[in-house]
Amino acid sequence: MRPRIVLHIFRKDLVETLRDRRTVVMAFVVPALIYPLLFTLLGSVATDKRGELERTRARIAAWGPVPEDTLRAVEQQARAEIVDRRALPPPEPEAEARTLVAAKKVHVILLTPPGASGASTPVRVLADSTNVDSDAMERRVSRALTEHGAELLRQRMTALGQDAAAATPLDVHEEDLADAARRGASFAAALLPYLLLVLVATSGFYAALDLTAGEKERGTLQTLLTAPVRSVEIVAGKYLAVLALTLAATVCNLGSIALTLSRATAAMEAGARFSLGLSGAGAIFLTVLPAALLIVALLMAVGVLARSYREGQSYLMPILLLVMVAGFASFLPGAELTAGTALVPLLNVTLLVHDILVGKAGATQITVVWAVSLAWAVLGILLAARVFQSEQVLLSGEKPWRDVLSPGLRQARELSPGNALAFAAVLLVLTFYGSALIERRGGVVALILVSQLGFFLAPSLLWCRLFRVPLRDTLQLRWPTGRGWAATVLLAAGGWSVGAVVWAQLLRFPGARAYSDWLGELLGKQGQLGLGTALLLVALLPAVAEEVTFRGVVLAGLRRSGSRWITVAGSALVFGLFHVNPYHVLAATAVGLLLGWVALESGSILPGMLIHLVNNGAQVLLDRIPGLADRLQSPMVLALALATTAAGVLLVRGSRRPAPEEPPGPAPVSLASP
Amino acid sequence: MIEARGLSKRYGEVVAASDVSFTVSAGEVVGLLGPNGAGKTTVLRMLAGVLTPTSGEVRVAGHGTEGEAFQLKRALGFLTGDTALYQRLTPREVLRYFGRLHDIPEAALAPRIEALVARFRLSDFADRQCGKLSAGQKQRANIARAFVHDPPALILDEPTTALDVVTGRFLLQAFREARAAGKSILLSTHVLGDAEALCDRVVLLHRGRVLDQGTIPEVCARAGARTLTDAFLARVGDEVAA
Repeated sequence: MRPRIVLHIFRKDLVETLRDRRTVVMAFVVPALIYPLLFTLLGSVATDKRGELERTRARIAAWGPVPEDTLRAVEQQARAEIVDRRALPPPEPEAEARTLVAAKKVHVILLTPPGASGASTPVRVLADSTNVDSDAMERRVSRALTEHGAELLRQRMTALGQDAAAATPLDVHEEDLADAARRGASFAAALLPYLLLVLVATSGFYAALDLTAGEKERGTLQTLLTAPVRSVEIVAGKYLAVLALTLAATVCNLGSIALTLSRATAAMEAGARFSLGLSGAGAIFLTVLPAALLIVALLMAVGVLARSYREGQSYLMPILLLVMVAGFASFLPGAELTAGTALVPLLNVTLLVHDILVGKAGATQITVVWAVSLAWAVLGILLAARVFQSEQVLLSGEKPWRDVLSPGLRQARELSPGNALAFAAVLLVLTFYGSALIERRGGVVALILVSQLGFFLAPSLLWCRLFRVPLRDTLQLRWPTGRGWAATVLLAAGGWSVGAVVWAQLLRFPGARAYSDWLGELLGKQGQLGLGTALLLVALLPAVAEEVTFRGVVLAGLRRSGSRWITVAGSALVFGLFHVNPYHVLAATAVGLLLGWVALESGSILPGMLIHLVNNGAQVLLDRIPGLADRLQSPMVLALALATTAAGVLLVRGSRRPAPEEPPGPAPVSLASP
Repeated sequence: MIEARGLSKRYGEVVAASDVSFTVSAGEVVGLLGPNGAGKTTVLRMLAGVLTPTSGEVRVAGHGTEGEAFQLKRALGFLTGDTALYQRLTPREVLRYFGRLHDIPEAALAPRIEALVARFRLSDFADRQCGKLSAGQKQRANIARAFVHDPPALILDEPTTALDVVTGRFLLQAFREARAAGKSILLSTHVLGDAEALCDRVVLLHRGRVLDQGTIPEVCARAGARTLTDAFLARVGDEVAA
């Protein structure tokens, strides 16, 4: 993939899309207007209604021998007037009451059956709960009746010479522990996740439709195919254009929604306040980002299957509905972010945004949802890329699905960047849920054994087998050159300093120390094992399995991007993401950069294995040799180790054995692929 | 310069093209003629590297689709009824976009665009969005787009259809000049008058197969007809009757 060509396509598509009035109006103008309008209108109607009810006197019918003092109390306390007084109730009081309420002649009917006597007078309160006015007045009248009943009891107690306070054994006062800010956040948390997801989908909807089905209908997609561009460059450029527009619209509208909710909560009767600061907005935006990546990918993949704009609308509507259903989860009581729901795409983002707003989300939750969502997004992008490789799809042929699903496109002699990311996505999900299961049932030995062999090594080998790529070339199972070995020795000796320096910096941030202590405790468990077993489990096994996975399969796929920086940084980031905790992700990514560089430049997986082995082996020894940790952390030793590492990094550059023949670049547009 | 060797394309049971072979030499205009559904578009798409042949081989300026698709596309200017312009871009922006996709350096691209604007008389509307142009203006801009990378070979599908006489004549003259400059041109058209006026040789295609090919007098002679239209009707009519 050539970035400059992707950039040309991206820029052209963005300019063309921004000149489409319909897309701009739907993405920016409508959402920016609709939220304030909607809330203002609804808020105004609600406020007017509330005011009207407060001003209105309750119209009461009193049938039968309802005590007069009770009626006076209701008139005074409930601001009511008796408009229908009958000594005897009608033969069918419920039917008559229903008719009067429906005709708005009365709101509430008080009914005491004829002949009622004794110390307790029965009073039935008839109201229609489906009628807003009747329902509100019923609450007002019932409250007045309750208070009047309590007053009567106090009078009777006094008349009997008893202490009136005894009539109130519990003096109950309800108090809301939630302050105005929390009430506002709770209100916003119910609405915002839904609005955000729907907003992302609607923002991207028309742009994706226009750049896929719209272009096919207008014939411009075929024009593009006559130029020397690869299908992956076309889909990347278009994808980035739709994504940019979607994210821009999301940012604008997030601001609009936040301001609107802030106004709406201020007007709430219960007294609530909502304010989304820059950091909150940033956190929500980052949470929604992978969801946007997935939604845009789905819109592109499905949109391009359609042969016309109108057909595309029909195809994309189910995606919009799916997004709405996922967003709707935030309204459901009891819906929570758990290990199960974290796996469900879009739903996990909805629940996480909810938790962020109410202050429940922790760093681990955010990282897990982000990683899982990112994995889904990668799969979505791969789907889009695959659909764009079909000539039947791009040329509006019959039965495009047959072409998309045909095995011919799957034949590959080398892994591609997309393939590597798909592998990482599958592995991430497998590792996360598999580890959770093993942690519950087995000890640390089982956890390490199963995760290294079952989640890393075996899937890596199976993946190579599945895609029929040669193991030796894919995993770089080659003996390094002499210079490569020399660099490896330097890096093995000093490489541990990279992680140590990054950790030292990270410990300044809140929460990092607690995580470091927890990790130390976890790693300390290997102290219970024999030295040999500990070295095998903690050092040798990860050195082999993780290197095969990250510097083998993942790096092999990314290598095909043609950019050494994408290769090294991409494999490091994937390696880092597997460490879940944000601080650990950063530290592992830094180490991953070093290992990726060594694997790429030495042309072999073996140096990385050795460096990894020494680094992890040192961890085992640190716990067994008193004082070693302190000595290693002295500035002098650290500086020496860093200098050794720098020397190794420089020495390893270009040390790979010259290949007899470099593999050809990725196939240009598969339509007549070379 | 343009070479089709035994090109075939199947969609399941449907045969869109079968064993199609012909060549277009440098400085030659060859007409690809056939009724609707003859398989012309399929053949043209295969020649342009947009569609993968089921069997057979394509070569343009010595480059095939196997492993050389980029070189092939760089050697070819392609214009069909399905290759439209971007409605919300101006002709100048379209030319710049395709120039960049063809990796023309920025320094060379600007004068190239201005030369094409002048050659195809686009200056009056070069900065107006394509969606607001007339059919003739769009076609002139689109042909300029096919010329932007100065390819040695051109494939033109119905380039003069639905154009007024003045614009049609103007474009035919532009194609003659391209031929004089040594370019190979494969012209697919329903306007047999254009074919007679411009083509050095013709290929008659029907139901995905080549019925006949040669110079116009040769094709007419073999069909026992005096004009290309008569020859076309005779050969295609024979096929329909068969």
